[in-house]
Amino acid sequence: MTQGQQTESTPLVDPACYAAATAAIRAEAVRLLEAGEVTAVVGYRAGRRAGSAMPEVATTAEAAAQLIFTPGCQNNLALFLSKAKREALPKGKVAVVVKGCDLRALAGLIGESQLKRDEVHVIGVACPGVYGAGADLAKPLAAESLARKCRECKVHLPEGTDVVAGTLPPLPDLAPLEAEELARLEAMTPQERWAFWTEQFARCIRCLACRQVCPFCFCTQCLCDRNRPQAVDTSPRPAGNTAWHIVRAMHLAGRCAGCAECERVCPMDIPLNLLNRKMAQELFELYGFETTMQPQEQGALTSYRDGDDQSFIK
Amino acid sequence: MAKTLSLDNLHRLVDALLQEGVRVVGPKRTGTLTVYAPLTRGEELELNELPRRSAKETFFPPCETILSFEKRDGRTTVSDPDLDRLPETVLIGVRPCDAAAPGILDAVFSWDYDDPFFLERRKRTTIIGIACTSSDDACFCTAVGLTPDARQGSDLFLVPVEGGGFAVEALDAKGSALKERHAALFTAGGNTVPLPLAEPKVEPLDLEKIRAWLDGNFEHPLWKEIADRCAGCGACAFLCPACHCFDIVDEGGEGSGCRRKHWDACGFGKFTMHASAHNPRDVQPQRYRNRIMHKFKYYRDKFGQTLCTGCGRCIRWCPVGIDIKAVLDEINKKS
Repeated sequence: MTQGQQTESTPLVDPACYAAATAAIRAEAVRLLEAGEVTAVVGYRAGRRAGSAMPEVATTAEAAAQLIFTPGCQNNLALFLSKAKREALPKGKVAVVVKGCDLRALAGLIGESQLKRDEVHVIGVACPGVYGAGADLAKPLAAESLARKCRECKVHLPEGTDVVAGTLPPLPDLAPLEAEELARLEAMTPQERWAFWTEQFARCIRCLACRQVCPFCFCTQCLCDRNRPQAVDTSPRPAGNTAWHIVRAMHLAGRCAGCAECERVCPMDIPLNLLNRKMAQELFELYGFETTMQPQEQGALTSYRDGDDQSFIK
Repeated sequence: MAKTLSLDNLHRLVDALLQEGVRVVGPKRTGTLTVYAPLTRGEELELNELPRRSAKETFFPPCETILSFEKRDGRTTVSDPDLDRLPETVLIGVRPCDAAAPGILDAVFSWDYDDPFFLERRKRTTIIGIACTSSDDACFCTAVGLTPDARQGSDLFLVPVEGGGFAVEALDAKGSALKERHAALFTAGGNTVPLPLAEPKVEPLDLEKIRAWLDGNFEHPLWKEIADRCAGCGACAFLCPACHCFDIVDEGGEGSGCRRKHWDACGFGKFTMHASAHNPRDVQPQRYRNRIMHKFKYYRDKFGQTLCTGCGRCIRWCPVGIDIKAVLDEINKKS
């Protein structure tokens, strides 16, 4: 059976763009490893299934020559630079392949002192877009299979990286589905919104894929795993599920880079990026804060300015 | 003579069972995804899509209460759930990869201890399996000893036939009883030419060779190679028809609460964390190794069965693209 929901339609982007980015990534990765400038390049390699890709920690020139960039390269590889996944990398300086959205996460990690800029060689990739969750990877990227985040992407071209792989083709103008959905939710009454999220969270099975792929979920001891004392019920029931998703959204406010990996990997189709976007919107409105492709010394919720809005303090 | 059942009559069968007070669970579209859920009428049955989660939850729910407690006037009362109240259930529209799994799990749930929660549900449930006529590139049932029309685990089996409808086969007393009770819906004769089956196009696996390789390669660079990328979530285990680990937690307040059993996964970093803070599987490749060892060695050693039915869900939904079939192909080549 086809698990995806994509329908036939014309290719969205010339596949040659991805091929050019692939060639540039390979050349840079091979050069870096052969010159001994890095001990590993975190990139993507092809999977067994047509169109699939997975993260790869390449430590040899041979492995680097197999790296790819395709619409299947969905993962945010900044995850591997976070404390949670660092164990997968060899010691020394590493290189990482990042799309614009991933770069925002990397910049956030640097801003939070999780690593220093000079500890990583950043290979940016000019990214026309990647597949969304559940897409049929064997078919060319189409408007229907493009990730929702990519429809509204403002960071197709990374800035401030050591190198940029590929060039951007002209990109089609697409309806901002996620912004529309957010507006729909905002127009609801609080009761309707509560009903919406209650239904979404009810499906959660607590596989924690959302947490595990998030570059910013690097706490050594997640509050939601604690049992002495227990803060959040671990069983997949309404109380614990709701608490977990609210904790997650709040803890990521002002940190989330909008890569939307949490939403993509959710096997229960919970639209988690709507929560992330809402938080980002609030932070912009209240503090003029936005996550960017450059590390920022202080986040919105870790700094204080006299003019900060305090109307919420009753 | 072979009996057939039209799609309309299959829907009527569901309606009739519901009318008798039987709980009928089958693939049902809810929002953007199809899951096994209690049906309220036959037409809700969605047979064209493999449900996102497996059918194991019919017997082993994501979460269930195993006792409750209440403190009143200085006395604590503990009560067990009344398993006699578990409903008679018909699980319908189950593809072979899902239908085979509960039977495989019987071995562990009745091994050193008879788990009444699982076994009572098994006793009260009739499984109506259906031959599989559509597959994708994540499916690999044929590589782990099943087929798209495997009867294993089904009490009654439906084979989609040309021109619509199903050829029906009762496989045991439960299946026959269900068929007898609703005999009027089943027609004698009719077209019984089966629709082409969905044979996954995959490399075969030698499960015994794989077991032998695993036996000698607990320490091997392959584990790091495959699983350094593993993000450590439970998506694979939770969607899997055969993974069956659970945690037991007490939830509630001082005055009252419940002891609950809920799904757990060996991919989680805290899965093997000791109270001393020592963690025998302290890095992700060791955790992923356990997933493969449990499915293809430990369970075979202990019960002679493989803890995988090739449904492909873990492949479709792994956040980092780990493909268990590719892993097994690799081991198969080595052994």
